[in-house]
Amino acid sequence: MGAFELVTPATAEEAVAALQTLGPGEATPIAGGTNLLFDLDSGRIAPRRVISLRQLPWRTLDWTGDALTIGSTLPLRSLEDDPRVRAKYPGLYEAVRNVGGVALRHRATLGGNLVRASPASDLIPVLLTLDADLDLVGPHGDRRVSVDRFVQASRRTDLRPGELVRSVRLPEARPSAFFWQRVRPANDISQVVVAAAFSPSERSWRVAVGGVAPRSVLLPESAAKLGTGRPTPDAVRRAAESAAERVTFVTDVRASEEYRRQLVGTLLGRAVASTVAAEGFPR
Amino acid sequence: MTSHLHLTVNGRAVDLADVPAPERLLDTLRWRLGFKGTKEGCRSGDCGACTVLVDGRSCLSCLTLTHEVEGGAVTTIEVGPEDALVARVREAFEKAGALQCGYCTPGFVMAVAGLLRERGTAAPREEFLEGLGGNLCRCTGYSAIVRAVDALRTEVP
Repeated sequence: MGAFELVTPATAEEAVAALQTLGPGEATPIAGGTNLLFDLDSGRIAPRRVISLRQLPWRTLDWTGDALTIGSTLPLRSLEDDPRVRAKYPGLYEAVRNVGGVALRHRATLGGNLVRASPASDLIPVLLTLDADLDLVGPHGDRRVSVDRFVQASRRTDLRPGELVRSVRLPEARPSAFFWQRVRPANDISQVVVAAAFSPSERSWRVAVGGVAPRSVLLPESAAKLGTGRPTPDAVRRAAESAAERVTFVTDVRASEEYRRQLVGTLLGRAVASTVAAEGFPR
Repeated sequence: MTSHLHLTVNGRAVDLADVPAPERLLDTLRWRLGFKGTKEGCRSGDCGACTVLVDGRSCLSCLTLTHEVEGGAVTTIEVGPEDALVARVREAFEKAGALQCGYCTPGFVMAVAGLLRERGTAAPREEFLEGLGGNLCRCTGYSAIVRAVDALRTEVP
């Protein structure tokens, strides 16, 4: 690991200032560090300054009714341990508890996962189906951006120089589900993940896939085929076919394009069935 | 940046001067403090060999900057009998013969201790089996490790 200075600001303003005074690539924030330390150690990045977010008051979980705002530096394990998260956002709960191992989740954060923007992120597809928004702080004030706009490609986001992710906002509780396929069940990178959610207020479905293409994507055509409530087996089949057609699948060390295409349909069927069985799905 | 750093390691207050900012907790424990029971395996958070407890919760010391746990209480496999929980887990591993080459053992012991502290012995067996998914044993001695966990779950604390 190359030399760097570590600064630990006490406020968001100080953190933004510490980030902004150096050029891009010269300063980087650290939240849990579970991705960052790997990048520092391998020499992929070599910043002069690392800015610790540990003293910022962002390890929070705030409910407004069933809407949930998750602080960007809250450890994933705390999110998984909240029974209300499990009941109201079952897709998020399933995704979170499948990230790495327990020791990793004691440090890893939602903010870090979003900024890393891994094509194989287990969390981004779920956040897409929940219509999550990110609240950012930066040198030119606060702004809100949808997760769909924020995540652009691997390690590339809408984050502008000097900006930090403060929190992630989920607007409404949704029956939802998350299914994955991996070589090893625990602590492995997914070959395919599928997330589904049903919006009770809009009576419409969301479907997203990850691990198959350069970025996680929502599949609105596939979701539309599921209709406005409990879908028929035929509708689920059409949604699965649409997903298999619409996604650009890649072949890599983890799986072939053909295998991934087949998996998406299977996992979509499971995700829909699990969503229909979840709390809050209209009877 | 090098600066003064305060930690509690295995119940003892430790004051460290001149710890470089990039130093990982694993290296501080092994090379600065001599707690070589904590092992380095993959150096990327996949194997769990470097697991220690920080403030009672399991932590991958290879992916943690020492300065990031400033003021924290770190527990390693070397902790004495005064840590009754870790002592019990060590004993259960011994009784079950839950080791072959032993390299992964300190990480497993700390991970099990962390799960017991978080969840208690009454937690479902699944919690423990899934909770150990982040620890690898390349000798594949998992069944003996699971026997040790089962013994801990059924014994009266």
